[in-house]
Parts: sequence; structure tokens; C-alpha cells
Amino acid sequence: MSEPRLVEIRRNVFKKNDLLARELRHRFADAGTRVISLVSSPGSGKTALLEQTLTSLRERYRVAALVGDLATDNDATRLARARVPVRQITTGTICHLDAEMVAGALSDWNLAGLDFLFIENVGNLVCPSSYDLGEALRVVLMSVTEGEEKPRKYPTIFNSADVAVITKIDLAAAVEFDRAAALASIEAVRDGMRVCEVSARTGEGIDDWLAVVEGSAPDVQTSRHDRCRDGAFKER
Amino acid sequence: MHELSIALSIIDGVTDELQARGGPKLHAVHLQLGSLAGVVKEALLFAYDVACEGTLLAGSRLIIAESEGTALQITGLEIDA
Repeated sequence: MSEPRLVEIRRNVFKKNDLLARELRHRFADAGTRVISLVSSPGSGKTALLEQTLTSLRERYRVAALVGDLATDNDATRLARARVPVRQITTGTICHLDAEMVAGALSDWNLAGLDFLFIENVGNLVCPSSYDLGEALRVVLMSVTEGEEKPRKYPTIFNSADVAVITKIDLAAAVEFDRAAALASIEAVRDGMRVCEVSARTGEGIDDWLAVVEGSAPDVQTSRHDRCRDGAFKER
Repeated sequence: MHELSIALSIIDGVTDELQARGGPKLHAVHLQLGSLAGVVKEALLFAYDVACEGTLLAGSRLIIAESEGTALQITGLEIDA
């Protein structure tokens, strides 16, 4: 029997997801829907920030949310209190959302009726970084209670995001949060990254965050798709 | 972690490539894995063996070349000549 031969190919492992995400991105653009995804570790306050955001925006815009969790629809139930359409994606044992799950959850939604769609990813700082969901803006959250080093520990997710939001800043003094160290950690991973500092509980910093959401704030890069995986990550 | 999902994506991609070539017997898959790809090599190797059972990839080896950056791509297939 002859020896096997080596066929050289170049195929991105995420090709299928990336193609579907590209279709979603076109669909969102055609519908005029700005799609913003939130990623963080569990317990950083994605749902609290989202609840506050949906409530703030719903008077002026048509908004909706998709929330991913391994189990339970607790977050969807909680977000429904903001009286906007909310759908749950229960992933079972899968630790991230992918473009197929988002497309499936949206299949019968009329996007043309929406100005903003928020996607809350499964709480995880590793896996979601690889999966493009077709969003215009990816936001990574870190709470003051998690310490200052999250960006250095999880550079890939911070690199894949456009904006960092430091949450629970009303607790900063109580946990002796070192703001300068946290900003330096973000800066070390993503030079010039837009950072918001908010408390969903007191409302502090929410206006700055909403300006980013609405696209009226400066220094927001929306070309995540172009930057990711094409070698533009900061190599170290 | 998500290495099982990654393994399933590799299987999808390789299956496409094999079918496009008439379904030759596969001996090995070469993969480039960047240090910032967020994928653990050992976990991926384990998941690969499990996930390949019952597919066109069953019995094949996954040969991983580590690199810098975020690359995660299939770079070659060893198939019957």
C-alpha cells in the first residue's frame, strides 16, 4: 500500500460560524438593528446592566434582548421586568453562544422593528471569544469585586471586545479596588480600548455607557469582525 | 471548556474537505493552534478522539503545530494517495 500523501489546505476552524455570523451582520445592517453583545465571567453584572439599559432605552427606542445560559431562564424572567421582548437561549452544557444559536433564536423575529438588540452571552471569559455572533459591538464586563487583573489573565476575550465596562463601582471603596491598576491591565492588553465605569445600582456612569450603546460616543471601534482572527490581535 | 465544540468544528470542516475530494481514507489532520486561540492542546486532543468516532475522521490522528497569535486553522490532511 502506498504512503499517505499530505494535502495542504488553509481552513479556519470557525469558518462555518464566521460565515453565518457574516450573514447575521448583513441581516442586522439591513434591518437597521444595532446589535450589542455582553460577555463576562459569571456574576459580573451583565443582567443588572442590561436591565438598567433596557429600561433606559425603551422610552426612545425599540429594544430587545437575547440571553444565553447553561440552565434556567431566570435572567430572561428578570429582564422581562424591563417590559421589552426577551428570549432565552438555554445552551445545556455548551459554554458559549454561537452564530447558529443566535440565528435560530431570531428566526421568527422581525428585526426591522428593532433599533437595538442585546445579546447576553453565557458567563465565561474563555469560550465566547472565538465565536463571532454578528454583533456590531462586543462589550466585556469586569466588576470591581473581581480584582484588577482580569484583562491580563484573559487577554483573548478582551482583545475580541470593542469596549470594556467596569461594573459595581459603587462597591469600589469597600473592596479596595485599584482603579489605576485595572485601567493599566486593560491598557496592557488592548491599547486605547474604550472603558466605561458604571454602577447599575446607583446609576453612576450609565449616561456614558448609554452614549457608547447609542453610538454617539467617540473612540468606539465597530470593526471587530475585521480585526479578529486576521492577525490584528496584539501579539505578545 | 469548549474543546469539544472546537473538535466538532474541525470534524465539520474536514468532512467537507474529504467529501470534496471523493471521500479518501484519512490518516491525519494537521492543525495550527495559536497560543492566544484560547484552546488547550491536551483537551482538544482528547475531545478529538472522542468526537471522531462514527465519522469519516474515525481513527485519524490530530497533529497540532503550536504558533503565536490567535490562529486556529486546518493546514493539511494526510489521505490515501
